Amino acid sequence: MEYRNTQPPEGINVSHTHPLKELVLLLGGAILIIVVLSLVLSHSMGYLARFIPFEKEVALTRDLDLGSETPPALQRYLDALTARIGRAMELPPGMRLQVHYSNDATLNAFSTLGGHLMLYRGLLEKMPNENTLAMLIAHEVAHVKHRDPIRAIGSGAALQILLALTIGRTNADVLANAGSFTLLSFTREMESAADAAALQTLDRLYGHVGGATRLFEVINKARDGMELPAFFSTHPLDEQRIRALREMATANGWPLKGPLTPLPAGYRGWLATRSP
Amino acid sequence: MFELILFLILLVLGYGFGRWAEKRHYRSIIEREKTLNRLPAIASRIPPEKGRYRQTLVMGNTVISVDYFKRFLAGLRNLFGGRVTAYETLLDRARRESLLRMKEQAAGMNAEMVFNVKYETASISKGRRDTIGSVEVLAYGTALIPEPASASDQD
Repeated sequence: MEYRNTQPPEGINVSHTHPLKELVLLLGGAILIIVVLSLVLSHSMGYLARFIPFEKEVALTRDLDLGSETPPALQRYLDALTARIGRAMELPPGMRLQVHYSNDATLNAFSTLGGHLMLYRGLLEKMPNENTLAMLIAHEVAHVKHRDPIRAIGSGAALQILLALTIGRTNADVLANAGSFTLLSFTREMESAADAAALQTLDRLYGHVGGATRLFEVINKARDGMELPAFFSTHPLDEQRIRALREMATANGWPLKGPLTPLPAGYRGWLATRSP
Repeated sequence: MFELILFLILLVLGYGFGRWAEKRHYRSIIEREKTLNRLPAIASRIPPEKGRYRQTLVMGNTVISVDYFKRFLAGLRNLFGGRVTAYETLLDRARRESLLRMKEQAAGMNAEMVFNVKYETASISKGRRDTIGSVEVLAYGTALIPEPASASDQD
């Protein structure tokens, strides 16, 4: 018997499909599925998240450390103002608000899970009067009232779970980030709703909505030439916002002008205070 | 955003280098296969009856790693099912390279042929997550080295 090896022909054990063609097909299909599923999921989760009891949010954030560098006088003032806003906004019982202050030049303010509000010195310094400050705080309180933080996190988490289940923790994690990137912040609809609620609160507190639009003028002015802070990135354009607020005030018969309440005498001093 | 850029860079690098290495490897494999075809590797367990041979175990071992691009493509394939064509060349190259290495060892011993050739395949990463998978292919067989005629007479 004669034994021989002959050269095997190519392409039997290897497919001819070009890898880039396969990539385009698979990636296109995957992205399409992810987009459709994430839209469905984030909307349904965003809707369902508001049924999570607020106490759960509070329990989740019990260990949250947002710092306590607030001068006592400022804390008392902010607490009192926030409490008035909360009452005017008719928060559901049990929805407790906690105001935090950061002695940082960041031009920012945000609200997060558990009714925690965070105000930065950079933004508080720019406040011309109490009405404008109340508008800022009311906007953040409105997010808490509308359960926006849990809705945003809920829809983001739903996507993460979906992707973890389907793709697993492969390099496709990148897709997970791409999908949830925009959803982890509040949507423009949430922002507009918060603006509307804040404006109504301002009318209830002061009998007019004067000073409300100043907030966006202040932000707009201070932002010129600066990098866009994350807080404002999903917010409607300032001019549109101001116009929308004016239209809403006119439609509801809320006076656009009225006597503005000055900030307390020691306000600037408190902000400058270095906490112990 | 940074992650996405990093991912794209890795993907392009993986594709570029992967393709380049694969083409080069295939060229080398085909070339060496042509020269080593004179030394047959046979799967049969029954050695030829004629002639006297010394028998030695010969083996060739290859570890080939999957590149980032292929791993991503295979990961996508997991979503839809079907043939994981991205890994086909990987295994094909590993098998052929292992056989070649085995044959090279046998050729160095002046063997006439290699009998009872078998393959073993092992995954190095053992399905661990977040690691670039590598595959090991071991080819082994019995090399038949002809004994000089005089030596066989003395037996």
